[in-house]
Parts: sequence; C-alpha cells; structure tokens
Amino acid sequence: MSSYLFKDTVNEYLENLPYSMKSKLFKSPATCLAIYRLLPNLAKFYIMSMVFHEKPVNSRIWDVWVKDSDQGKKLEVEGLRRMKSLNLITEKNNYLVLDEHFRESFRNALVGNDSHHAFGVPCATDENNKTSIDFLDEFATKKWESILHFMVGTELDELPSVGVLSLLKHSGLMEINGDITKRNLTSVNITKEGFSFLLQDVNAQIWTLLLEYLKIAETLNMDSVDVLNFIFMLGSLELGKDYSLEALSETQIKMLEDLRDYGLVYQRKASSKRFYPTRLATTLTSDSTTLRSVSSAMNKAIRSAKQDNEKDVKEEEAQVDFVSGTIIVETNFKLYCYATSPLQIAILNLFVHLKSRFSNLVTGQITRESIQRALKSGIASDQIIAYLEVNAHPQMKKLAQAALNKKIEFESVNGMKASHLSLRNLEIVPSNIVDQIKLWQLELDRIQAFGGYLFKDFKGEVEYKGLLNYAEEIGVLLYKDNANRKFFVTDEGRQQLIDYASRRTKRQKKS
Amino acid sequence: MVRAIKGSLIKCDPSIKALIVDIDSKRHDIIIEELDDTNLLVSTDKIQFIKAELERILSKNAYNAMEAEEAEKQK
Repeated sequence: MSSYLFKDTVNEYLENLPYSMKSKLFKSPATCLAIYRLLPNLAKFYIMSMVFHEKPVNSRIWDVWVKDSDQGKKLEVEGLRRMKSLNLITEKNNYLVLDEHFRESFRNALVGNDSHHAFGVPCATDENNKTSIDFLDEFATKKWESILHFMVGTELDELPSVGVLSLLKHSGLMEINGDITKRNLTSVNITKEGFSFLLQDVNAQIWTLLLEYLKIAETLNMDSVDVLNFIFMLGSLELGKDYSLEALSETQIKMLEDLRDYGLVYQRKASSKRFYPTRLATTLTSDSTTLRSVSSAMNKAIRSAKQDNEKDVKEEEAQVDFVSGTIIVETNFKLYCYATSPLQIAILNLFVHLKSRFSNLVTGQITRESIQRALKSGIASDQIIAYLEVNAHPQMKKLAQAALNKKIEFESVNGMKASHLSLRNLEIVPSNIVDQIKLWQLELDRIQAFGGYLFKDFKGEVEYKGLLNYAEEIGVLLYKDNANRKFFVTDEGRQQLIDYASRRTKRQKKS
Repeated sequence: MVRAIKGSLIKCDPSIKALIVDIDSKRHDIIIEELDDTNLLVSTDKIQFIKAELERILSKNAYNAMEAEEAEKQK
C-alpha cells in the first residue's frame, strides 16, 4: 500500500512539470519506458494500442474494452486523466493522439532501435576484479541503513555524508542544527514527516529522497531533465553489470557522487570510469511488489544463491514469504517480531514498548503510552496499523484468511449475502488492536477548539436572523443557538459581519 | 445592543465538558460562557492549559497493562 503512495508522488511530480520539460523527457527511451511502467494497467493497454498505430484513435473504441459498470468507467476515466495530465495523449473532437516524441522513443525502447544510449553503455572491457551481486547488495544495504539508522538516532561510528545530511534537512525529514559542511552537528531531531518516512517501504523512501534531491538540484542549476533521465535510466539497468561513464552528461556524473552516498550506485573509486547500479536503483520503477526491506532482499538473494537450482520454485517462494513478514500481534497487545536487524527493532521501538530481545526475536507490548508517544511525535494511527499489516507474519495472514473463509461459509449457509465480504475484510491485525489504536488517537484530541467571536444580545429576531443568515452564507458560522439568539463565527468572519451590519443600518436609515 | 465576545469555541463530548467545568470551578478564569452540553466559550490563551489538564486527569483513569503486570509480579 505504501508503494502506491510513492507512485502517486512520482506521478504528481511528473504531471506538474510544464509541457516543454515533458517533451524533453520524452526524448529518452528509458524515461518513456519508466513513465509507462508507472501508469495504471488500463492506461498501459491504451498506450500499447496506440504506439504502432499512426492515426488518431476514436475514443469510443476504447469503451468496448471496458465492462459497462461503474467501476469500469471509473478505471477508464482515471486512466485517461492520467495520460492526459502527463501530456501523453491529446484529445481533438473525440479523437485521441499519442504524443509524437513519446511514440518515437517508446517504440525505440520496445524494438531496440537505441541510438541514444538511453539504457546505459555497458563497459566494453572486463574489470579485473569483478564486483559480485552479493557485494553490491551488501554495499547498498550498508549505505541505506546507515541513513535510516541516523534518522532513528542509533549511535553511528560515522555520520552520513554532507550530501545526505543536507538532503535530510532540506526535505524536512530531520531537524539538523549545526554546521553541516563541517559535520559538526549540535542537535539532530527527527520530524513528523521523518517518522512517516521510516514506516514506508524502501522503494517509497528512495523516491521520496530522489524527489527532494530533484528540488535541490533545480536550485543548484542542475538540469532537471538530465537528472530525471538519469534516475529513470538507472531503473532499467541490469544488476551486477558495470556501466561506462562515457554516455553520461556532466550533471549526471556529478549526480553519481550523491547517488553513491545513498547506496544506489557503486563505484570502486571516485575516479573510476565505470559504475554499478545496486538493487536499490534497478527496482526503482519495477511494477511488481517492491522489496520490503533491503535486508530481506539480501537474505533472499543469499538464499537463492545457495539453493540448488533443481530445488522447487515453490519452496523458494515460501522462503521469500518467510522473510517478508515477521511481526505477530496477539489480541492481548503482545507483539513478537522475528528481527535481527537493529534498524527494524529501532523502528518498532517507535511505537512498541519492547521488553526482551533474543538472538532472532524481540518481544514487546503495545501500550497506551507507547502508542501515544508515537502519535505525539507525528505518526498517524493508520500508519502504525498499516505497518503491522504489511509486515505481519505469514501465519497471521493465514489465520485471518481462515477466519474470513469461515465467516463467508457461515453467512452463505444461513442464506445471507456474502458478496460484501471480500479480501478487503481480511483482518490481519486483530480488530480489537486496530480499534484500540484508533481510540488512543481519538483520546489525544478530545476537544476541538476554534478561535473567533461570540455574537449575542441581539435586539430582536429580525436582527439576529439577518446577521446569522449572512454568516451562514459566507461560511464563517461555527455554532448557533437560536433559542438564546447567540452564534459564533471565525476570526476572519467577524470583520465581514461587522461591515455587513453597518451597511445594513445605513441602508435602513436611508429608507 | 449586539455584543461580540472574543474567545475560542470548544466542541467536545458532554463528559469532557463536565471535566472542563470542574477545572474551571477552582479558578474561574477559563470559561467565558457555557453554551450547551457540547459547546463552550473559553478564553483562547487557556486552551493549552485545558488540554494539558485533561490529559492529566484522563490518564489517571487509564488502565496501564505494563504497570499492572509489574505489580502482579511483585506480589
């Protein structure tokens, strides 16, 4: 679910670019491919149908592909809206035209007529000491986790680089005081945004940082088209291959240094003529479920490397499942988490009262205090619940599925409609926990307060009604008590109301 | 003559309103006017104080699972 979140932000960013920028972006096949990957499925289908069809397409033929239902219509409208706001298609008298630049580049990407080196230039010569995928994973994990560790406040041997620090500060994820360039920090505090950042999956986190990086790049006079192209290109590179710097622009070479600090690319030396994309980079635009955490991706990679090739694919899948979910929550608010990474434990510590730690397990309890502490520092109850759900142990998911099946069976035996029960009703985290966490949040804002003015002591019903109606009309009314002729308006409303009242009295005097 | 009184409107449950009235009964500088069961007019600069007081009173009533467990262990 958080992966949808990031897609929205990337798309929003792209949609808000002026057309001149977009048409420049469309010149790069890799970028087109990435944009295509980020589209909803129906939109992908529409694009495909237009890429090799030069003439404008009547929009009505697309209706045929959509079921004539509310949901189908909604999908179609959404797909069209997205394509239009990305300037991929333009509409003229019901006929739709695909953007020429996009068509050309996307075709190139598909049929491989690549003259732009948009997908990176692999190094022609072999490097003497080749860098293995395991090493890259380890490098990426180390870099990325050190950033996250810095954010949760773990004691680190070495501070993240200056670039990372200023990025965290500019993005508002952390409050950093002190001299950043000299790495002389006086105080470091995580912000509300930082907390919610931590609970997202890795891919969403990277995108958040990259978009912030883009904003900074603009102020540094770096060409955003170049920067974006490079980011999207990284998404289509192959893990474990080395790529040459030759095809990169100056801006992009400058970027490499920063990306190295985030763990997205690896270079053996700063002066090296080649770079390796890491797993963090190559999964940037992948559509399938993103890696939940770098460490789980690593475990997976290591396992599959060790596994004999003949072994069942199923077994591998089961193991992948195993590493993806590690949290068990009981109805008595006790929580168990199979975690070895200090990072995951540190994140849990944000909203769980941790009790004991074993070699591969931590136990803790969800308490009112621990949740409210998290809520006060800005984590929303929904985020906590989502985190618990996404990271739930497979056994929890199985249990929830079984419970749901029983419910459906029960309802169908008793002749009730079971159609409203679907996967969405799956209660992975016990419902009493979910409710309680929400209640705890409500407890924090027991009162709603509005600044403003109370009007009272009206001379008569006419005067009261007149002013009340006006206040209601301009939308500043917050409370009214007709029986006692009192009402309350916002701060901004008072002046407007007084003006109105004086105008009225003047008019009355005239007449 | 119509009067406009500056202040803050508080919307809350009747139970919370009762608590605020109780807090006010000792100091008389919070509530300007009681409007009805769920609405109160209070002075704006006292809002933070009200919130803190409410928090203090309410957390007294909350069951703390951790503490209860500790107490049991000591028995």
